[in-house]
Amino acid sequence: MSENTVIELKHIDKHYGNLHVLKDVNLSIKKGEVVVIIGPSGSGKSTLCRTINRLEGIDSGEVLIEGEKLPDSGKELAKLRSRIGMVFQSFNLFAHKTILENVTIGPVEVLHMNKTEAEKEAMELLKRVGVASQANKVPAQLSGGQQQRVAIARSLAMHPIAMLFDEPTSALDPEMINEVLNVMTELAREGMTMVIVSHEMNFARRVADRVVFMADGELIEENTPEEFFEHPKTQRAKDFLDSIKK
Amino acid sequence: MSIGELLSVYGEKYLQGLLTTWELTIFSFIGAMIIGVIITVFRVCPIKPLRLFGEFYVQIFRNIPGAALLILLVYALPELDLILSYHSCVLTATTLIPASFCSEYLMSGINAIGIGQIEAARSIGMTFPLMMRKIVIPQAVRFSILPMTNLLIATMLTTSLASQVPLSPTDLTGVVSYINTRSVGGVTSFLISAFFYCITAVVIGQLGNLLDKKVRILR
Repeated sequence: MSENTVIELKHIDKHYGNLHVLKDVNLSIKKGEVVVIIGPSGSGKSTLCRTINRLEGIDSGEVLIEGEKLPDSGKELAKLRSRIGMVFQSFNLFAHKTILENVTIGPVEVLHMNKTEAEKEAMELLKRVGVASQANKVPAQLSGGQQQRVAIARSLAMHPIAMLFDEPTSALDPEMINEVLNVMTELAREGMTMVIVSHEMNFARRVADRVVFMADGELIEENTPEEFFEHPKTQRAKDFLDSIKK
Repeated sequence: MSIGELLSVYGEKYLQGLLTTWELTIFSFIGAMIIGVIITVFRVCPIKPLRLFGEFYVQIFRNIPGAALLILLVYALPELDLILSYHSCVLTATTLIPASFCSEYLMSGINAIGIGQIEAARSIGMTFPLMMRKIVIPQAVRFSILPMTNLLIATMLTTSLASQVPLSPTDLTGVVSYINTRSVGGVTSFLISAFFYCITAVVIGQLGNLLDKKVRILR
C-alpha cells in the first residue's frame, strides 16, 4: 500500500442470505483520486460504496482508511465515519432541522466545534454550493437539487478526507441533475478524494480519474475513462456500454 | 338529589376530586413519558438484552388490566415486604401502563423517520446515544403528538382506578363512591364527575391539536 492510499478494500465478501453480493472485491483509492463505479443495477455498486463506511457490514475482508482498519462498531467506528463524507440518493437531510442546522449539527455535536464558528463556516459552505439564501428554511421547502447540494455541504462541514456519493443524482428531476454534478465537478477539481456510484456516463467520462465496472458483485474492469468507454476489455463491459447507448 | 343539591353539599369534594384527578394525571403522564422514552431507547438500541427487556415491558404493561395491576401492587407487594402507600400504588399503576403505550407511539414515530436520516446521522459520525438525542427522539416525539394527546386523556381516565382504594382526598370517581355510600346521589353524582372529565379531555384535545400544528415536521 502506498502512502497516498486513502481507502483500501481487501478481499471484501458479502452475502445477503444466499445472494453473493460482493465477491472478493479489491480496490484502493489514492488521495485526490476520483473513482466512479458503474455497472448494471443489482451489481453491488451501492453495497460496495456503503461498505467503505460500514453502513453495510461485510462477511470477510478488510476496509482500511488511511491504513487504519475500520472497526466493527462503537465509538471508534463513529469516529472514522466522521472523517468520510457520504451523500445519499435520497438526500436524507434531517427533516426537523433548518438547512443551516443540518450543516452545523455534525461539527457542533460530533467535532465539538464552537457554534458561532460552525455557523460561519456552514454559511460559507452553503454559499459555495449555492443555497445560502435558503439557510433558514427546512429541507421540505427546498427542491431535490437544492437538498442534495445541502447534503454535500453537510458532508463537507466535517472536513472529510474522502467523500462517498451513492447515486447522488438518481432521485433528481433531469433539470436538477446538472446543478449537483457541477458542485461535484468543482469538488473534484479542488482535489477531493471521491468515490462515486453513478449512472451519469458523461459525468464519469469528464470527471473520473478511474472508472470501475462492476457486475454480479464482482469488480470486472478498472481503467481510465477514455480507455474504458472507448476500448472496454471485457464482453460484459461492452454489453453494458451497448445497452446504455440505446 | 338534584345537581344543585349535590353541588351545594359536595361541591368542595368535587373540586378536591378534580384537583386529585389532575394531579394523578399530570404525575402519571410525566412518569409515563420518561419511562416510555427509556423503554423505547432500549427497544431500538444495539444491545440485545435491553431490546428484549423493552419488548417484554411493553407486552406486560400494555396487556394487563389496570385494576389487576393495582390489586397486585396493593396486595402482592406486601408479601415481598414492599409496602407502598395507596397513593403510590395508584400512581405506579397509572404510570406503568401508559408508559407502554407511550413507547408504542414513539416506535411508530421512529418508523416514520425513515432509515435514510439514521444512516445520514451515522455517516457524519454520530454515536447511537447522540443520534437518539438529536435526530430520532425529537422527531419521534413530534410525529406522535396526536396519539400522545389521546394517551394523556386515557391516562386521566385510568386514574379513576384511585376510586378503588381509600384515598384522601379522593379522585373524581372516588367522590362519586363517597357520595353514594352516604346519600342517594344516583346517576346524577356520576354525571357531575363525567362533566369534569369531559371538560378536561376537551381542553387537552384542543391543546394537543394546537401543539401538533406548531411543531409538525414539514415533509
